[in-house]
Amino acid sequence: MHTTTSSATRRVALAAAAAMLTIGLAGCGSTSSEEPTDAGSAGSSAPLTLQDGWVKAVDDVPSPTSTSMSSAMPSSSASGSAGMDGSMPMTAMFGTLHNDTGSDITVTAGSSPVAGMVQLHETVKTDSGSMQMQEKPGGFVVPAGGDYTLEPGGDHVMLMDLSAPLANGSQTSVTLTTSAGEVTVTVPVRTFTGAEESYAPAPSAS
Amino acid sequence: MSGSGAGGDGAAAPRRRTVLLSGLAGAGAGVAAGVGGALAAERPAPSPDTRLAAGRASARAFRGTHQAGILEAPPAQAAFVAFDLHEQADGDAVRRLLTVWTDDIERLMAGRGTLTDLEPELAAVPASLTVTVGVGPRVVELAGAERPDWLAPLPAFPEIDALEDAWGEGDLLLQICAESPTTVAHAQRRLTTSVADLASVRWVQRGFREPFEGPGIPMRNLLGQVDGTVQPDVTGLDADLLWVGADGPAWLRGGSSVVVRRIGMRLDAWDRADRAARENAIGRRLDTGAPVTGGTLDSAADLEATDELGFHVIDDAAHMRRAHATAPHERFLRRPYSYDDGVEGGGMRTGLVFVAFQADPARQFVPVQRRLAQADLLNLWTVPVGSAVFAVLPGAGSGEVLGQAMFA
Repeated sequence: MHTTTSSATRRVALAAAAAMLTIGLAGCGSTSSEEPTDAGSAGSSAPLTLQDGWVKAVDDVPSPTSTSMSSAMPSSSASGSAGMDGSMPMTAMFGTLHNDTGSDITVTAGSSPVAGMVQLHETVKTDSGSMQMQEKPGGFVVPAGGDYTLEPGGDHVMLMDLSAPLANGSQTSVTLTTSAGEVTVTVPVRTFTGAEESYAPAPSAS
Repeated sequence: MSGSGAGGDGAAAPRRRTVLLSGLAGAGAGVAAGVGGALAAERPAPSPDTRLAAGRASARAFRGTHQAGILEAPPAQAAFVAFDLHEQADGDAVRRLLTVWTDDIERLMAGRGTLTDLEPELAAVPASLTVTVGVGPRVVELAGAERPDWLAPLPAFPEIDALEDAWGEGDLLLQICAESPTTVAHAQRRLTTSVADLASVRWVQRGFREPFEGPGIPMRNLLGQVDGTVQPDVTGLDADLLWVGADGPAWLRGGSSVVVRRIGMRLDAWDRADRAARENAIGRRLDTGAPVTGGTLDSAADLEATDELGFHVIDDAAHMRRAHATAPHERFLRRPYSYDDGVEGGGMRTGLVFVAFQADPARQFVPVQRRLAQADLLNLWTVPVGSAVFAVLPGAGSGEVLGQAMFA
């Protein structure tokens, strides 16, 4: 049942991505130049690249000694999620994974110097009808020569247990473990007020 | 003869329209059928794809020696948005803000959504969009760069000024111009929210120009005057009047400055002046924009001409005479927009967002403004209510972030 939901979501997401690409080509009258901060991930030889990638900014990471919820909760809505219990700062990476090879590539795990834990998440409908995020069984399969969209409300790379704030306009890096080897991407950090969906089961440090 | 093709298209189109309207009539709108039929006969159906294709095709280049939005013919719609950095902002915050804006603007001008844009459809028609970034003294100081002397409020002009803080200096300026009001609104929203944790909007001044005036014809302001007639040749001999050169701070070379003054119009008083008085006030004819001494729009004014009684034909206090450059450097590129924000409270809600680009406003603009403050018949009907000066950053080259030379 989850498989059905996610593949339907993916079809919609890919259709949207294709539409955007068409619009971009039609509207682009100037020389295209890659986002400079994508340079690290845009190497033409990489089997898997992340296009238009970004990580949601987090400006309020409570110190390990801070146990007061009141110090963590008043963060502005523009900040990343401070977690359901107010003590587990987390954020997410979005963008379009592009597979430049002739074989499917499966993303199975991830890591980041700023996150204690990285997970590959999907968004599913719960028994109560609400949308919830959870780890995606089997990871992300990026089709040969194709794209895989990571977006708010859909699949994404979850960065949990952050060790430091992620400031709007800065950069961070994420390493993805894939069937074609490790791929490290440098991604810009952006303020974003969306992606405040709930997570279940609640991430635990155990 | 170019109309014959359109007429041929139109001949077929009304029949389709008539069928459509008949269908509506059948559905119960019987009263409208006669009216609709009459309309259909005289109004050819537009081809909806033409405007969309033109809007999408008109993307302007973002990267270059200079920022876009200065040399281009001004599109019909504009928003001038001043921001204040948050109190705790430091140089790093400035750098990050300009990093975000550089990426956002490049994408928007190419007709793409910004990175975080969940509604990229609103960006899909660039419609000649340009976004031009200016900075105030606080930004320059936080970045640790040399502040040019002119980057400060203009001197007061007590004879005319009725300045309101609401339209005053800011830390940052965005000039957003496009042919489509939706494109302007979307760019303004995205560029505002993308830095919401770093800066807040201080003021927004929306403006418009007549979309149906031909290229090369100056705009007509809401006093009915042809405005912005005499311009320096900024793409040729007068380029150094526009761009900061070797005598300016290194970080600003290829940049400029912009003066944004909000000029309210007393239209109720203007309504009481006859056309002769109006033309006398400016020294130009209202219909053609030509000097009242004769000729055409581009003719030089004969400031010495006298009438049979010995009075100057161009009044001694006519706007044109007082604004006339008395030295070659007293010129600047004007790029004004009209505003009309309704009649709330009976105050002046109509006027001109006066916009002037120049390498050095203290040297080029202030002498002219001082003369106009001292004597200008137009002052009877116009009141400056806002004034701000910004340094216009140089353009961003490939891989560069706007303003990065400030941090060198």
